[in-house]
Amino acid sequence: MAIPKSSRGVVSEWLFTADHKKIGLMYIVYSLLFLVIMGIEAILMRIQLAHPHASFMSPQAFNRLFTLHGTTGVFFVAMPILFGFGNYLVPLMIGARDMAFPRLNAFSFWMTAFGGFVLYASFFAGGSFLQGGSAPDVGWFAYAPLTSTTYSPGHSTDYWTLSILLAGVGSVGGAVNFIATILCMRCPGMTLGRMPLLAWMNLVMGGLVLVTISPLTAAQIMLMVDRYMSGHFFDTAAGGSVVMWMHFFWIFGHPEVYVLIIPCFAFVSEIVPVFSRKAMFGYPAMVAASVGIGFVSLGVWAHHMYTVGMPSYGNAFFVLTTMIVGVPTGIKIFNWLATMWGGKIRFATPMLFCTGFLFQFLIAGLTGIMLATAPFDWQLSNSYFVVAHFHYVIVGGILFTIFAAFYYWFPKMTGRMLNETLGKWHFWIMVIGFHLTFDFMHIPGLLGMPRRVYTYEPGRGWETWNLLSSIGVVFQAAAVLIFVYNMIQSYFKGAPAGNDPWDAWTLEWATTSPPPDYNFAAIPEVRSRRPLWDIKHPEDPDWKYE
Amino acid sequence: MTAQHQSNPAMHSAPEHVALPAPTAWPAVLALGLTLMAAGLLSTNIVSVVGIALSLVAGVGWARQVLPHDRHEMVAVSAAPVQIATPHRKVTRMAAVQAAPHRARLPLEIYPISAGIKGGLAGGVAMAVLAMFYGIVSHGSIWYPINLLGAIVYEHIDVSTAQVEAFHIELLLVATVLHLATSVLVGLLYGAILPMLARRPILLGGVFAPLVWTGFLHSILDIVDPILNQRIDWWWFLASQIGFGIVAGLVVVRQVRIPTWQYPLAARAGVETPGMMDEENNHS
Repeated sequence: MAIPKSSRGVVSEWLFTADHKKIGLMYIVYSLLFLVIMGIEAILMRIQLAHPHASFMSPQAFNRLFTLHGTTGVFFVAMPILFGFGNYLVPLMIGARDMAFPRLNAFSFWMTAFGGFVLYASFFAGGSFLQGGSAPDVGWFAYAPLTSTTYSPGHSTDYWTLSILLAGVGSVGGAVNFIATILCMRCPGMTLGRMPLLAWMNLVMGGLVLVTISPLTAAQIMLMVDRYMSGHFFDTAAGGSVVMWMHFFWIFGHPEVYVLIIPCFAFVSEIVPVFSRKAMFGYPAMVAASVGIGFVSLGVWAHHMYTVGMPSYGNAFFVLTTMIVGVPTGIKIFNWLATMWGGKIRFATPMLFCTGFLFQFLIAGLTGIMLATAPFDWQLSNSYFVVAHFHYVIVGGILFTIFAAFYYWFPKMTGRMLNETLGKWHFWIMVIGFHLTFDFMHIPGLLGMPRRVYTYEPGRGWETWNLLSSIGVVFQAAAVLIFVYNMIQSYFKGAPAGNDPWDAWTLEWATTSPPPDYNFAAIPEVRSRRPLWDIKHPEDPDWKYE
Repeated sequence: MTAQHQSNPAMHSAPEHVALPAPTAWPAVLALGLTLMAAGLLSTNIVSVVGIALSLVAGVGWARQVLPHDRHEMVAVSAAPVQIATPHRKVTRMAAVQAAPHRARLPLEIYPISAGIKGGLAGGVAMAVLAMFYGIVSHGSIWYPINLLGAIVYEHIDVSTAQVEAFHIELLLVATVLHLATSVLVGLLYGAILPMLARRPILLGGVFAPLVWTGFLHSILDIVDPILNQRIDWWWFLASQIGFGIVAGLVVVRQVRIPTWQYPLAARAGVETPGMMDEENNHS
C-alpha cells in the first residue's frame, strides 16, 4: 500500500523513520554522545593515575570507570558509529534506495540505543550516585569468577550483561541487513568485482558480526543462568570452567577488533585514492585481504589466553594464526602506500587523518605481533603495554579513520563543508595528544606496571611516563572539543559543499548533498569501479580497461 | 584549467514519484518492550510485564505494517538534474601499455614455481644427510637429530640422551613432515628471491641467509625452548643450513627461467599515473 508523503514533526520524522540515512545519522549522533562520555571517563582515570598514591577517586569508582570506559568504547561508540556510517553510505554507494529491511534497521538501532541506556542506568541504580551507583566493575571482558554472585553481588554485573545482550540483538539485525543489502540490492552493472571497497568491507564486517556475536550472547545467557538459576557453567568448584568464559568471550572479542577495524580500512580505501588522484592500487588484492582477514581472525582468539596455561601446541597454533593475520593486513598497507605512490596527494584533513592512521596502525600491528608471540606475552600479559597496544589500534587506527570519515562525508550528509583550518588544528593536536599518551604508556608496561591498578607506589620508574600519558589526554580532549565545535559551527555556517566537493568517483557523490529521501531519482547503472570517473571522463572511461 | 560538466545520465529516465518504506513507530516500541522485559530482572516484575505487553502490541503493529503488503509512501522526485562536474584536467593513462616493454623494478626473468619445489627438496636431502652425519659422529646414532626435530611439537623433551638417540616412530613421522614442509616452503622462497639477487645469488642465498637465520634462532631459542637449546650443536646446525642453502640454490639456478611480463605494475593495474607521464594538453 502506498500513501503520499505527509509532513511530520521533527520527532516523528526522526524517531519513527525507516530511512537508512536518518538511521545512520542517529547511530552517529548517539555514538558521539557516548564518545564524549567515554572520553570523560578516560580523563578521570588519567587524573587518578597522573601521580602515585593519588586519592582523586576511590578504588571502587576507578573499577567502575574502566569497566564502563571499555564497554562503552567497544559496544556503544565504535560499533554503532561504524554501523552508522555503513547505514548511511552502503545503499548510496551501491545505488540502492534503502537497506534491504528498513524496519529491521530501525529496530536494530533502537536495540543498540537502549542497550547503552541500560548500561548507564546502572549509575543511578542503588547506592550513592557519586560512588557510581550499581555500575558494573568487572572490566570489559568480565572474567569469571569475578562475575559470580559471590564476588559480584547485587545487580551491577547484570546491567553489563543485559546491556550487551540488547546491543547484541541490534548488532545481529544490522549485520543481517548489511549482508542482504550488499548481496541483493546493488544497482545494475555493479558486479561484486565493481563494488566499492567500502561495501566489500562492510560485507565482511557483517559476516564477522553474525559469527561472533552468537558466542558472546551464549556466554551472557550462561552467565545469567549461573547468577539467577544456580547454574555452574563458570563455577570451577562445581565442575564448571572459568576458562570456558575466556574462550567464549575471546571468540567474540578478538574478531571484534576486526569488526571495528575493517570498516575503518574501508574509509581509508575510499579516501586515499581520491586524495591521491589515483585509482585504488590492487583492488582484487584488497578484497582478498579483507575476506582473508575475516576468516583468519576467527582463529586467533586464544592469543589473549597464553598465560592460562594452554598446551604448547595450542600456544604454537595461536601464535601462528596471529602471525598469519598480519599478512593480509600488510598487503593492505602496501596497497594504500602504492596508491599514494606517484599520486598528486592533497593533504586535506581527511587525508591527514588517513596518513596518521597508516603510521599508527603499522606500529599497533608491530606491537600486536610482539604480543602474539607467546613468550613475550607471558612477560607482558595484563600490563600497561597491552593497554597501550590496544589503544594504538582503537584510537590510532579506528578513531583516526572515523575522524577522516567525518571530514570526508560530512559535506554529503549535511551539504556543508567542515572548516579545514579547524580540521588541521584538530588533527595536529590529536596527533600530539595521542602520541604523548599512548607512546609513553608502553614504557610503564615494559617496566611491569599492571593494568587496572587504581594507583601505584612511587620509585618504580612509572611516575614520569604516567604523568606524560595524562598530559596527552588533555591534548586529545582539546582536539575533540575543536572537532565538536567545528561540526556544530559548520553545520549552521559552513561553506556550501555542492554535490561532489572532493571530485570523487563513487556513487554517493552522484546525488545532491544531502541526498533526497529516495537517494537517486532513477537507479544508476555502472560499468566500472569508478562510475563517476566514467561520467566525468566520457572520452576515457575506466570500463575500457576493466 | 578545464572543467568537465555532465548531468547524471540516469536522471533522464527518472520517475515522478518513488515509493519508500513508510515511517513507523513499531520497531522502536518493540525495542523498548524487549528492553523493559530485561530491565524487570534488575527492578520489579511489573517492569517485565509492561515490557511483554509492549512487545506483543509492537509485534502485532509491525506485522500489520508489512502484511499483506509493505506500507509505503510516495515521495515526489525533484525534476532538477544533478550536475556532476570535475575541476581537474584530464589525465592520460600509461602509454607503456601500448609502447615497447620497459623494465622498471621487476626482474626480466624468474624461475617457475617448480624450480623452488625442486630446490627445496634437494636442499632438504642435503640437510638431512649432514644432520644424520652429525648424529653418527657425535652420538653414534642417526636418530638423534631426527628426534630433536620431531620433539619441538612436544611439551616436554627433558629426557635422557640415550632416549634421544633411540628410534621413535612417531618422532620420525613428525620430523619427516616438518622437514619436508619447511624444505619446500624455503625452496619456494629461494626460487622467488634468487632472481632479485643480481650478484652472487648462491653466496647470498646459500651462506648469508643461513648465517642470519642461525644467528636469529641462536639468540631466541634459549628463551623459547631452553631444553631444546641445550641439545643443539650450533656449528653443525649452521653447517646443515649452509648445505641446504647451497644445494637448493644450485638446483634452482639450473632450472630454465621464464620471462616476466615487463609492463610496470601501475600499467598492468590500468591506473592513471600523474607524475610518471605526460599529461594531456600540457596544462600545469
